[in-house]
Amino acid sequence: MLLDYALDALIYTGIYAILTISLNLEAGCTGLMNFGKVAFFATGAYTTALLTTSGVPVIFSAIAGVLLSAVFGLLVALPTLRLRADYLAIVTIAFGEILRMFLHNEDWLTGGPIGIRGIPQPLYQYFDGSYLLFYLFIVFITLVACYFIAELVINSPFGRVLRAIRDDEDAVAALGKNTFLFKTQAFVIGACIASIAGTLFAHYLSFISPDMFLPTLTFSIWTIMVIGGRGNNLGVITGSVLITVFERGSRFIKDYIEMPFGLEPYNVRIIVIGLLLILFIIYRPDGMLRERKSRSPL
Amino acid sequence: MILEIDGIKKSFGGLVALDGALLEVRNNTIVGLIGPNGSGKTTLLNVISGFLVPEGGSIRFNGMDITGFRPFEIARLGLCRTFQLTRLFRRLTVLENMLLASRTQDDSLGSVFISRKKLALHEKADAKRAADILDFLEIGHLGNEYAGSLSGGQQKLLNLGMMLMSEPGMVLLDEPVAGVNPSLANRIFEKILKEKEHRTFLVVEHNVDVLMNFCDYIFVMNRGRIVASGTPDEIQCDETVIEVYLGG
Ligand SMILES: Nc1ncnc2c1ncn2[C@@H]1O[C@H](COP(=O)(O)OP(=O)(O)OP(=O)(O)O)[C@@H](O)[C@H]1O
Ligand SMILES: [Mg+2]
Repeated sequence: MLLDYALDALIYTGIYAILTISLNLEAGCTGLMNFGKVAFFATGAYTTALLTTSGVPVIFSAIAGVLLSAVFGLLVALPTLRLRADYLAIVTIAFGEILRMFLHNEDWLTGGPIGIRGIPQPLYQYFDGSYLLFYLFIVFITLVACYFIAELVINSPFGRVLRAIRDDEDAVAALGKNTFLFKTQAFVIGACIASIAGTLFAHYLSFISPDMFLPTLTFSIWTIMVIGGRGNNLGVITGSVLITVFERGSRFIKDYIEMPFGLEPYNVRIIVIGLLLILFIIYRPDGMLRERKSRSPL
Repeated sequence: MILEIDGIKKSFGGLVALDGALLEVRNNTIVGLIGPNGSGKTTLLNVISGFLVPEGGSIRFNGMDITGFRPFEIARLGLCRTFQLTRLFRRLTVLENMLLASRTQDDSLGSVFISRKKLALHEKADAKRAADILDFLEIGHLGNEYAGSLSGGQQKLLNLGMMLMSEPGMVLLDEPVAGVNPSLANRIFEKILKEKEHRTFLVVEHNVDVLMNFCDYIFVMNRGRIVASGTPDEIQCDETVIEVYLGG
């Protein structure tokens, strides 16, 4: 029982870490204020849910989710990335909410507020009894892959342009680089990675509904990035461990401890995370692990 | 003529910053642009480099009309600029700033996955070139520091270094040695003189003495117009110039 709780917490940690790596690429490294991360997570989750429940193998549904996310990413990026940074923030929040409304209202496709049940758990028959452990392994492998891809991208001439855009976009343009193209590519890669996290999420829970994709999820991911260390992928993974273990742990512990003044444990948890975020922003704005100085040449 | 600018007009609200400015720059020369504060020099550079779109007039670079081109397109043609207020990438190291300026490195997303060996090889060569330039500018020991931690003068030098790194056909320099110590400023202009063989320079500079020594030709601006032009000797004796700029 306790082991199951631990495995569950670790699986969530891995999924959130993948999401945060994708946010880190956009926001942490390129300075793109994506406040609609949850939309691309939901795209991955719903795509795989719809396809696998109609018999498509997971591997194809995962790829389909990534492609659809890339298309959504382009649709959001093309009109907004030419504008000043704040427009992207507004448009991404709006996009996240519009998508959630769509999932909520279009029953014929998405099951509406009830969502989709019976999403198959791949290879379940082979790992009966130890499925959590197996799934953790899958999540871990995916996380490691995403980590290495993100590191490869950030520590390349391409990634250097992204990090330069974060500092001064006009100065990058003065060096002859099409900043719009670079930002669009960063945004689309971010969307694709988020979709992979969504795929893992859907098959883990085996049911999904629109209220799992509230804007608060985006803000959790931002919190993890800020606390972990924006620009540092190991930092954001550490942040995911800290926040998710605390989040999941407090869920578990609330059955055993008595809250003073009859406080609702769920609220206390949100207050604590909020306080932590504020303390970090004031006293350690670089997060737990500072962005590393890049070793160059390559 | 590498650069031909004709009748450029630009206003900010009611304020007319450029009022039909025109000038021409010959290949492989160093051309000075002087004028009182607020006379429109920086605005003119902003228009040439595509950061501002003029309301009228035309800009030709190597015979091609580049009016309305976007900044990155103009830079790609080999017409590069530096900024009066230094702009560099504070959270990149000095060396990375230099590497970024190299126009020959492949910075596409695809190359990250496909041709890493080639990237690394090219990067090594670039780094060597960068180190030489930084050494010349006397900031070679700072290669691995964050650019944001440099002093104002050092940042100015780094900007110059980036310009040299990108090997453009023509460079617009907006007060490149403001705040740099006089002996180094002289050395920089000597370097620019040497580079003249390969490039063309349009330099905005308040230090008239320096310009007199190094420029082939000088344009004088006042209130958004070119009011005089000539060789340094001619400019020194020009009545209008003495009136508007040299303080009479
Ligand atoms: N973005 C802007 N918005 C409004 N006014 C501007 C803008 N840029 C420049 N100006 C105005 O245009 C005029 C010309 O400015 P500019 O910066 O080109 O002068 P300058 O010749 O470079 O002066 P300095 O020698 O002080 O650098 C000034 O009156 C300035 O206030
Ligand atoms: Mg100026």
